[in-house]
Amino acid sequence: MSGSGIPPDWQDDPDLAAGEYVLGTLSPDERAAFAEALEARADLRSAVAAWEARLAPLAATIPAVAPDPALWTAIAARIRPAAGAAVDADAVPAHPVAAGDRIVRLERRVRRWRMTAATAAALAAGLALWIAAGGTAALREPPHYLAVVDRGGTLPALIVRVDLRAGVVQVRSLAAETPPERSLELWYIDAGAAPQSLGLVPGETARLPIPAALRTRTETATFAVTVEPKGGAPDGKPTGPAIYSGRLIRD
Amino acid sequence: MVWLGRPAHRQNGAVWGDEALGSAQREADLARLIEGVARGERAALQALYDATAPKLLGIILRILKDRAAAEDTLQEVFVRIWQRSGSYDPLAGAPLPWLIAIARHRAIDRLRQDRSARLTQAEDGWFERLADTSDGEADLARRDALAQCLDQVAMPQRDCLVLAYCEGWSREELATRFDRPVNTIKTWLRRGLLSLRTCLETP
Repeated sequence: MSGSGIPPDWQDDPDLAAGEYVLGTLSPDERAAFAEALEARADLRSAVAAWEARLAPLAATIPAVAPDPALWTAIAARIRPAAGAAVDADAVPAHPVAAGDRIVRLERRVRRWRMTAATAAALAAGLALWIAAGGTAALREPPHYLAVVDRGGTLPALIVRVDLRAGVVQVRSLAAETPPERSLELWYIDAGAAPQSLGLVPGETARLPIPAALRTRTETATFAVTVEPKGGAPDGKPTGPAIYSGRLIRD
Repeated sequence: MVWLGRPAHRQNGAVWGDEALGSAQREADLARLIEGVARGERAALQALYDATAPKLLGIILRILKDRAAAEDTLQEVFVRIWQRSGSYDPLAGAPLPWLIAIARHRAIDRLRQDRSARLTQAEDGWFERLADTSDGEADLARRDALAQCLDQVAMPQRDCLVLAYCEGWSREELATRFDRPVNTIKTWLRRGLLSLRTCLETP
């Protein structure tokens, strides 16, 4: 072993040592020395990156295996936000939120989001839906505001807030992309009943009145967002695929 | 009240024009998530986990063969991504190869620590998988090029490359399998890599 970290056999072509490092076939000593050399040498790092890129398609074809759902919990327990990091969405809202209010970031709940075509579509769609509803506490307290957290341009959010006191559904689209020549429409569906439109998901912010039926049935209603022709579903019935659906329950 | 929401079962990529969004878009999404992780955003790490953990677990499991060890390693991988995401340089390469590299290195490190004999079963079907274009995850052009160039690598050398890369076989394990001295395996690996590089770099 030379001091350069390059195994002697590869002195004439360090790029092949980088290839073996990526393959994982260097001996333990060679591997450790090469890893150390990587820290200091940008040329070796780019050689390694080139081999990783060349071979990655082979690894990418290995079938995916869904991890145990408990695994994320274990990871989450081991990570802490870095000091001064951007405020996390479900950690501390920028404004006080009543105990009865909750913001649930849907995508966190979704085990379905796997490296599948659907995942790619979801990532591509860049649509995350947040919903918060004022509970009984909201009836006695001033209106509450939800924190909108910038996520560095990733996964723009749509925020839906059901405010029972004010009798409105606030829909705020941060950057959700509506497919060309289409509109997003928000629905609620009472058990066993036909979906009722709450209105179109706006380009920015909109306040939609809560239908009387929803005021008393918030706990049983299901909400959904569908893709509709521009201007909304023609006959007041959803025609396009539902992008998200969910339910409000008492906290 | 709490919204217990989840994407509907009918989540349909087609309506978003997914077919028009190639791997470049997905890579850009992953890169942005990694940037978010670098800023300490836990939500970005979770989104990255949701998007890539199954793929990475498949890759790790192929090397370690043991489910518990593989999930343990996956956990280490994401903790490492959390700690080291600042070292990701978008200019140096695409995010998925970077993530795959972290997963493979962790898996191989663990494998080499574990001295116990393991079941070494030959990798098969890799060529079919590479040739199967219905799985749109990998960049098709790169995949196509790799399939063609691997196909041109002479036989025992090609097997050595694939077994080492996909299954984490060491030189010693390859020497046993092919009943050759370790030095011969070193030569094969070197020639195989050289052949692959020459083919991939030839326009």
